[in-house]
Amino acid sequence: MSEDQNQQEGRQLFCRVITPEKMIYDGEADLVVVRIADGDIGVMRDHAPVVSTVEPREVRITQDDERYVFATSDGFFKVSENLVQILVEEAVPPDEIDVEEAESRVEQAENELSEVSDDEDAERQRTEIERRRQVAENLVRVARDYGEG
Amino acid sequence: MSLQDMKRQIQSVDNTAKMTGAMQTISAVKLSRARERLDRIRPYTDNMQQMMQDIASRAGGDNPLLAGREEVRNVAVCTITSDRGLAGPFNAQVLRRTMQFRQEQDVDIVQVVTGRKAVEFFRFGRISLEEAFTGFSDEPSFEKAQEIGRHLTQLFEDEEADEVHLVYNQFQSALVQRATVTRLLPAAPEDTDEEEDEEDGEEEGRGAPFEFIPDAEVILERLVPKYVETLIFRALFESAAGEHGSRMSAMKSATDAAHEMSEDLKQQMNKARQAAITQEIIEIAAAAEALG
Repeated sequence: MSEDQNQQEGRQLFCRVITPEKMIYDGEADLVVVRIADGDIGVMRDHAPVVSTVEPREVRITQDDERYVFATSDGFFKVSENLVQILVEEAVPPDEIDVEEAESRVEQAENELSEVSDDEDAERQRTEIERRRQVAENLVRVARDYGEG
Repeated sequence: MSLQDMKRQIQSVDNTAKMTGAMQTISAVKLSRARERLDRIRPYTDNMQQMMQDIASRAGGDNPLLAGREEVRNVAVCTITSDRGLAGPFNAQVLRRTMQFRQEQDVDIVQVVTGRKAVEFFRFGRISLEEAFTGFSDEPSFEKAQEIGRHLTQLFEDEEADEVHLVYNQFQSALVQRATVTRLLPAAPEDTDEEEDEEDGEEEGRGAPFEFIPDAEVILERLVPKYVETLIFRALFESAAGEHGSRMSAMKSATDAAHEMSEDLKQQMNKARQAAITQEIIEIAAAAEALG
């Protein structure tokens, strides 16, 4: 392999979607679309270095006409030197989403929200429960939008 | 000791060996599972630490979660131990390290623990615990780490602690666990002498400068608590792997010792049995001679 080709290969974009449980995606990518703090960002190779937060939406990765979709929780995003890193607590492909389980999580969060007592910690608790509700709701939405049929 | 007694004792030692042998096998299986999980979580924890460094080296100079407070009046220590014993020096060494750390501080200490062994230890020493998390030491989960992390971050935010440290057994191999102290908050990398030496050799601001969206402060607000949870998450898993490793080798020593003891007893018993037979023969021979 010539040096030129080597350099060309070095310019390929890589993407990693990582959760505490395992590496969900680890490979080349032509295009990665993620919802970050100020809206969707589409990353192709040679993107400028960015660090941001990830919102509970879906991550879309296109590679050689294949499309991979993962519903994610909130988390963190970084692109630097042709490597996209998405750190989230949950990342699930649409056909693996357990809709019933996700719906019960939404319900549970809503119940908890109504039960938060008004002490000094209430605001923090609400934010935390609201975050969980959004993550679960997003799972339901992605399963509906991208699921079979 | 009669022959009967000896037989009984050998039986009991053999039973002990069987039990410790079984525990050794179980610990070996649990150890390999824990190591596997430790490998699986590493990409997440490593990248989280990397991201923290990326931001810390470029921003957050006046964020207390990152840079700390000027005056340190209280220090919180969270000690990670196991729920069950029979794990050799595993718990003793991390508790000893905790006591050493406590003595080094000249401010008030807020003590938090995980694992029943630490609860027993501090109760015995009449040291009050701010909070204790128990019941998951051999199979920790991310949820548990989050619960502990939230609690510790809260202590810091409420100014009940101006620093938060974690003491746990770092997993080096099945045989070696090292009691380690890590600072969780403030989250900026600690400037120990070692690190300063390293930094001397490196160039400042390596890599391209990042664009932070929306800005570094907002990201930090969310990242620091997650970072704390992640460090705890890893520590819980390292500790779990260490617990199984330590118990495995403790049980192996116990099994070996029991086998040795059983062999000794068997030899003693055979000697005693032979002596008894010889005695009987002599008696019979003497009686025959007297009659003859």
